[in-house]
Amino acid sequence: MASTTPFPKTEWDTLHNNGPFPLKLLYVTELEGEANIPSKVDRYNDAAQEIQKLLQETLDNNEGFRAYGSRWSMSNIAHHAERMHYNGFMNIHLPIAEENLHENASYNSSNLFLFQCGNTIKRISEVLGAHGKSLKASGASNGQTIAGCVSTGVHGSALDVGAVQDYVVGINLITGPEINDIVYLERHTKPALSNTFIAQINARVIRNDKLFNAALVSLGSFGFVHGVVIEAEDRFLLKRYVRKIKKELALELAQTMDFKNSSFKIDEEFDENGKPKRPYHYKVFMNPYNNENQYVVELMYKHPYAVPYPDPFPIINKSVYRDLIHLFIKISEKFPDSIPWFIKRLKKVILPEVNEQTTGTLAEIFWDAPYQGPAFACSVGVDYKDSPKALDLLAKLAENEGPIPGIFAMRFVKKSEAILAFSKFPITCMIEIDGVLWKKSKKLMSLKQFTRRMIEVLKQNDVPFTIHWGKNSDWGFSGLVEHMYGENAQTWKNIRSAFLTEKMAKLFSNDFLDATGLSQLQQNVDEDLIASLT
Amino acid sequence: MSRSYRLIRLLGLLIAFCILQSCYSVRLKNTSGVPMPDPLSSRVNYYRDIKVHEKDTVITIGALDKDFTLLIKDCNPGGLHTVEYRNTFGGILLSAVTFGKKRKVKIKYVCMKPVN
Repeated sequence: MASTTPFPKTEWDTLHNNGPFPLKLLYVTELEGEANIPSKVDRYNDAAQEIQKLLQETLDNNEGFRAYGSRWSMSNIAHHAERMHYNGFMNIHLPIAEENLHENASYNSSNLFLFQCGNTIKRISEVLGAHGKSLKASGASNGQTIAGCVSTGVHGSALDVGAVQDYVVGINLITGPEINDIVYLERHTKPALSNTFIAQINARVIRNDKLFNAALVSLGSFGFVHGVVIEAEDRFLLKRYVRKIKKELALELAQTMDFKNSSFKIDEEFDENGKPKRPYHYKVFMNPYNNENQYVVELMYKHPYAVPYPDPFPIINKSVYRDLIHLFIKISEKFPDSIPWFIKRLKKVILPEVNEQTTGTLAEIFWDAPYQGPAFACSVGVDYKDSPKALDLLAKLAENEGPIPGIFAMRFVKKSEAILAFSKFPITCMIEIDGVLWKKSKKLMSLKQFTRRMIEVLKQNDVPFTIHWGKNSDWGFSGLVEHMYGENAQTWKNIRSAFLTEKMAKLFSNDFLDATGLSQLQQNVDEDLIASLT
Repeated sequence: MSRSYRLIRLLGLLIAFCILQSCYSVRLKNTSGVPMPDPLSSRVNYYRDIKVHEKDTVITIGALDKDFTLLIKDCNPGGLHTVEYRNTFGGILLSAVTFGKKRKVKIKYVCMKPVN
């Protein structure tokens, strides 16, 4: 049997120290050994039973429950003050065999894999690499668990691919302690797995596009995400270039996404007609505290996998001495005017080296990011056409009402089908402000104040926006979710209310959901919302 | 300022320089594999959320010994993910005063997370 150790606790924190938050009990589940249960499917089912036991225990104590993996989110989305569950040891994977495909599946079985919740992006890439496959996209690093990525909408900057949830084709949820509470969801218009296979994981299947799209970016509140089926693709190489280009040109590319007809060229990256190729990835870095007329940009182009290629790993991986960063922050809290000066000095550490060129697989390019101390990150999504305007507004905010110890970047993500995906625009430009956590002082506004002003400024200037669920913001801002998602927020709440029993909906809610109003249960919702449509 | 005071200050600076220069870490890290997590750890350094083992000991090397092997028994068969060796001024001093017989060993290592 899988086993769980409960640890009485008083507090819990995110990886980047955005807490601490109060906590009563931490569960840590470990799988049964392979020697005792040789079959992976049996071990997977054994773990599901263990989770159901924990859910029953939590219900019996009238408490709440929230699972987490690598705790990379900076908001309190992964937190519950009563019971939390660490699922990082739940890392089974199963390649999907041809005979386990649904009769109407349009997928190539060699691209489908079931990954249990606690598999990290790094582990998944290694599994896929061993099969000659790759993820389609990932975040900027690889430490997050797959369940966390999907539930919060982790994204990279792949213009034509999307975020992590966009290559998920099936979700296995545990919604309660009863036999019927193990559910497998997929789209009815794009079924993937056979009923026989789904029965092997003791799940009842619901094929319903709307339900599936609601449960994709679930914010951890549609049940325990036990596993997801993802669609991989053949392994490929990325050629990465870093250039410093005119600010106007960098913003023109951001606003048009028209690389083909742009004056910007990378010598090696042309199509058969001699036109510049469309990159796989485009990122713009920006320091809001100087008026440089050039921006550093990072571009990646997709190429077929071929060996050999130059070693993409640096020989020595140095990190800035943390105490220096802390000193920088302490000085900044008293003398905010020093922030622009410090950011300029730290340019070499913060920004990639201009004219850098690297080749590697997705997993090699977006490799480990070691912990570097307390950090914050704000990230708003806007339509790419609005990106120069939104960047200008937010940079002026930082300049006029800040400063804040952070630097700006823009990344671009294809539209997601998930109902609450922040990548909701045809191409969403994620404007990010990353930096080192600071404390409010007489001269320096707090992070929460700054994020509130970001929301106010974008609203005042009629720029439609979303906010990354896992990043810092004033999540209690009145009407925020309704403003960002309109009717979709109500649809999501209706589907959740139909999908979960009242007591389980309460169990899977948390402070984050309460603050955003998403935990509100809707009465008399249409049961057809969760009907299987096959 | 007296000459002896200046000399003491110079000596102090020299010692501080030696201590700073002789303290360093070298880390060997596997580019593959996932380090063993530690959900109960509250470390706020490079090893945050990672289960790290530490060995801080003094070994004795005989005049005829060419090397020394430390055995690791607390890693699973998956092997090692990271090994960090730290050199300190105290370690160098100990080695110098014992003519190399006693060596300070300060090592951190991280096992691989088991795969399933």
